Amino acid sequence: MGLPAHTRLCGVELGVTYQRDWRYDLHMTHTPARCLILACGNTLRGDDGVGLWLAEWAEQRFSDQPGLRVIADHQWTPELAEDVARAQSVLFIDCSLDSEPGTLHLTPIEPVSGSPEHNTHHLGAAELLALGRELYSSLPRDAQQLTIGASSIEFGEKFSPAVTAALPAACRLIEETVLRLLSNPE
Amino acid sequence: MSQTITIDPVTRLEGHGKITIQLNDQGEVADAHFHVTQVRGFEKFCEGRPFYEMPSLTARICGICPVSHLLASAKACEAIMAVRIPHTAAQLRRLLNIAQMVQSHALSFFHLSSPDLLLGMESDPAARNIFGVAAARPDLGLAGIGLRRFGQHIIELLGTKRIHTGWVVPGGVTEPLAPANRDEILVSIPQAYADLKLALTTYKQIAGSFKQEISVFANFPSNYLGLINEDETIEFTDGALRLIDPKGAIIEDGITASRFTEQFGEADENYSYTKFVYYKPLGYPQGSYRVGPLARLNIVKSMGTPQADKELAEFKQLATGPAESSFFYHHARLVEALYGLEMIERILADPLILDKHVRAVAGVNRLEGAGQIEAPRGTLNHHYKVDENGKMTWASLVVATGHNNNAMNKGVLQSAKAYVKDGKFTPGALNRIEAVIRTFDPCLSCSTHAFGQMPLALTLVNADGEIVDQLVS
Repeated sequence: MGLPAHTRLCGVELGVTYQRDWRYDLHMTHTPARCLILACGNTLRGDDGVGLWLAEWAEQRFSDQPGLRVIADHQWTPELAEDVARAQSVLFIDCSLDSEPGTLHLTPIEPVSGSPEHNTHHLGAAELLALGRELYSSLPRDAQQLTIGASSIEFGEKFSPAVTAALPAACRLIEETVLRLLSNPE
Repeated sequence: MSQTITIDPVTRLEGHGKITIQLNDQGEVADAHFHVTQVRGFEKFCEGRPFYEMPSLTARICGICPVSHLLASAKACEAIMAVRIPHTAAQLRRLLNIAQMVQSHALSFFHLSSPDLLLGMESDPAARNIFGVAAARPDLGLAGIGLRRFGQHIIELLGTKRIHTGWVVPGGVTEPLAPANRDEILVSIPQAYADLKLALTTYKQIAGSFKQEISVFANFPSNYLGLINEDETIEFTDGALRLIDPKGAIIEDGITASRFTEQFGEADENYSYTKFVYYKPLGYPQGSYRVGPLARLNIVKSMGTPQADKELAEFKQLATGPAESSFFYHHARLVEALYGLEMIERILADPLILDKHVRAVAGVNRLEGAGQIEAPRGTLNHHYKVDENGKMTWASLVVATGHNNNAMNKGVLQSAKAYVKDGKFTPGALNRIEAVIRTFDPCLSCSTHAFGQMPLALTLVNADGEIVDQLVS
């Protein structure tokens, strides 16, 4: 369902004419991403912030790639299901408390309609995919998740030695993955 | 032998808490408490910091309504600076506050409460969540996501970040509104109206099937507190506080932020880290009251916008005096969100809204200052003292969940008496007792200034104090 073209709304003359073709496209400057990086974490909780650090690195590294979009936030909230559903491919980045500190894991993610009874405010990558499929009848062609094993998520803005040492390899892995996802035919 | 039921954690809340239900020897509910079990201590560790850091520091208390802390804090700082912020800055802040109210109310209604309302209080807990709503009513799922994004996107357009923006500063805001951003908000308003009206229509269709819940969900006479304008319209960012009694008569009007501390006290209970705020002239607990959407609609004569005024007139038909059941918080939230959309339109049509003068500058001109605003879930007060160099020497933050604490506990007791029989409860009963808390949409992170995990947790304790049952929902 799209909105008609507008030049004047609510008594205000608009600077441009808008024509939306996506119901919830509030980011009208963005076309659907060929590759969406979705990172989460808290920069005040030690290694928990590594996802955001890597997202920032990727944004700079691929600043000349209009097909890449980066969203970095504290949590993955249900609203992001739309961004995920619209993207051709998604790379989720987060730290992991279940992995050895500093270890990297890149794994494909499939949609799972979990039971977020306790966490209605934030979802996991698989749940975001499932919610996007449920509401928008759309899934990215490829969805991967990169996790970095966390050593400490206590208060602090510094990464642990293990995570710090893993950053170069994490950047290389992101570079390879993004280039591969961007090269996939539309 | 008497028993105690504990709900731990209580789910779909902002923060972490639990409910304990005490049974007597006959297996009847004797008492019930809503515990908030974490503490973070913002008031203490802010001491020694420059006062102008307080907005961004206190915004970190919460990821749901950081804007509320930003605004209340900035206002307290401006009282210390003794400045009046530029008109455009005041309007932009109002826009920001209303956008946050819309997105927070959308979260509360669609994400947190609609699983109960749409799927039923006794529906399968595994499906009683946003996925269940998306499967049963995808139109509402889309509307919820759309409306929340609408509010969040305004916050992002104004402050460059959806959460923890640093755009609000003492003296105003850091950047004016760009014309393209104004237009981008305007163009998304029609869909926001459509989403909200779908929610209002749906709520009115289903509310009639919750008569029992309405009758026992914190359904008792109380006082109500909230900001109001001189013309008796609803207010979220300025105005002064009005306190009304259970019949709707004004107890006190025109309570400014600087007078809040002298008129309101904080009681402690040993089972919760959250304060119990009360109106000093009436004492504790008689001076307790409710805040938030239900209170705001109970105290005002008008919303000040045409569509919301029509809805307010319908809301006022729910009771001859103030609407008493906290179940009506859901309804009030939707009326407020409609008001929010109308106000967003009105603010963006202000001919000065793109003006570039958006900040006043001053140093320390007073050693004490207070600010108050309406957060989505109720009144928020910040009160600071500083030394002559502007270093914080004392801070007091009184949040909506503290104002509502006594009413939430009474509500849990009322619903427990209705739904716990012969010392036993069903999953449906458990969810209903939790749902009483959810009507208030409390923010436990704010109320304790604690680092919150989402869940709240039910414990059944006997007369000897022994835990005989415990549920983690």
